[in-house]
Amino acid sequence: MPALFSEGFLLGLSTGFYCLSACLPLLAPYLMAEGKAVWEFNFHIFLQFLGGRFLAYMLFALLASLAGKAGQYALPLWLLPASMAACGLLMVFFAAARVSGGRGPCLLKKDLNPFFKRLPVALGFVTGISICPPFAAGFIRLLEMADVLKGFAYFGGFFGATSLFISPVLLGTPWLGSRANEIGRLTLLIAGLWYTVLGLKGLLV
Amino acid sequence: METTASPGRKAAAAGAFAALVFVPVLFFSSLIAGREISRLYALAWALFTAGTAYAIASTGRVSFYRRIFFSASALAFLVHFKLSLLNKVFEPSCFADTPFCHIAMAPYFLNYLYQQYLALMSGGWKLWGPLSLGAAWLFVTISIGRGWCAWACFYGGIDDGLSALPRRPLLKLGRWALKARELPAALLVFMMLVSLAYMLPVYCLWLCPFKLTGAFLDQEGCLKGAQYGLMFFALAALVLGPLLTKKRLFCSFLCPFAAWQAFWGRLNPFRISIDERNCTGCRSCATACPMSAISCAPGGKAEILAYCNLCGQCLEACPGRCHKYTVFGLELPALKGNMGRLVSAEHFFVFSALTVGAVFASLWAPAALRDVVKLWGAP
Repeated sequence: MPALFSEGFLLGLSTGFYCLSACLPLLAPYLMAEGKAVWEFNFHIFLQFLGGRFLAYMLFALLASLAGKAGQYALPLWLLPASMAACGLLMVFFAAARVSGGRGPCLLKKDLNPFFKRLPVALGFVTGISICPPFAAGFIRLLEMADVLKGFAYFGGFFGATSLFISPVLLGTPWLGSRANEIGRLTLLIAGLWYTVLGLKGLLV
Repeated sequence: METTASPGRKAAAAGAFAALVFVPVLFFSSLIAGREISRLYALAWALFTAGTAYAIASTGRVSFYRRIFFSASALAFLVHFKLSLLNKVFEPSCFADTPFCHIAMAPYFLNYLYQQYLALMSGGWKLWGPLSLGAAWLFVTISIGRGWCAWACFYGGIDDGLSALPRRPLLKLGRWALKARELPAALLVFMMLVSLAYMLPVYCLWLCPFKLTGAFLDQEGCLKGAQYGLMFFALAALVLGPLLTKKRLFCSFLCPFAAWQAFWGRLNPFRISIDERNCTGCRSCATACPMSAISCAPGGKAEILAYCNLCGQCLEACPGRCHKYTVFGLELPALKGNMGRLVSAEHFFVFSALTVGAVFASLWAPAALRDVVKLWGAP
């Protein structure tokens, strides 16, 4: 099991830059929109995002291992564009409705249900299910192994290494102000529209 | 600007100021354009720039004469470079290759960093080219900062010139202008991240209105259609937008380099500051500002936003003369004498901006003049 963890970790280390570039357009605007000039607060958002991403990875580890056991060695073609569209729609919703983890949407002017305050978790989850090339490489390895526990170990290592690459995104956040929040919200909107259009195009065309 | 000096002395001071601008512009213009064409064209360009400097110094109308210079520079770029793509009469001379577009520099900044990392790791030193461009950008930013967008950008001149044509705006942007004011910064962040993620020039592919070609767009029909759609949208913002609104729509709301300079421009010491004691809150400056870079602060006073590109339009629009060029918000101590009046933040800035703008335009403006002369059949 430690060997598989190391293997996943090494895969993450060798392909971490691609994970970083794939995750940044989602995480950076969200941190800009929601972050404060308090490092701990932003770190909390980051941890929640990683938590959501971890859940998605473990879910995929489970599904891939089960699929491998069942002899199903191919991902459905609609999965990537569908996850991309889901991710984009969520980002558009956060930005357009001004939904925030800290306060209610201005459209409603009332406190949000605590369920909705787990927004970074949701964003992390949809990021995690948006398949990037390194993720696909790990996924194929899991299909071969066809063992749930081994899959968890492998993807756990992969998750740990790729998270190291994503963490520098926190460096700029202690300087976030209200202007940066507004820029982040607009960026989130644009990035959300971008991913929605690409996802829908993949589904429909 | 001081207005009590006698006309003769004022003209002499303006002449001295014009000479100060003329000398470096002639030197660098001859150096740049003289490699391929007659230095007479460089001389003509330097004289035009010096004439602009003289007009500004003698009348105090910074933005009016700046706009003539700026639009002429942009027009020269269109004549020399863009038309050379279509017609062999306009042969590209000073451009051995396609000039590197400064607007593209900002959205691909992360990609450049990645390239530098690869170059460092592989020893491929030829990939360090962007560093020389980075050094040029740093020099420009320190010397004129955000003034680049109102004095030197060869695309901004189109937007600025067109925004001066209508007497009144047909469409008023109203409060939407300030609501969408952070859009270019958002576009910049988005394009930096997506360009890195896809390793693609996303701005050039999707938004640039200046490419005027579909040659390097995606081949897939659906994507290509969307890219054409956005290109024409941006072109409409560039050409029709200023004619309808009297605002520089593309530069204000779509240009990622404007946002980039708005951020880094603080390295430059020059500012436009408002004398709050005399500001009546009439909003004449906000209405006149082509970049929608003046808002109403709490208390009704005007407030200059980070997107101000030091064009000087508000100086002429303010009935109370509350706006002035400053150095980090401070005025320079007033000196006596004819030449003493040249020692002001305004003159220092106009000198820097005109010189940098004219030297940069030496890449195409003298050659454009040559093209026009050639077109008319002169020897």
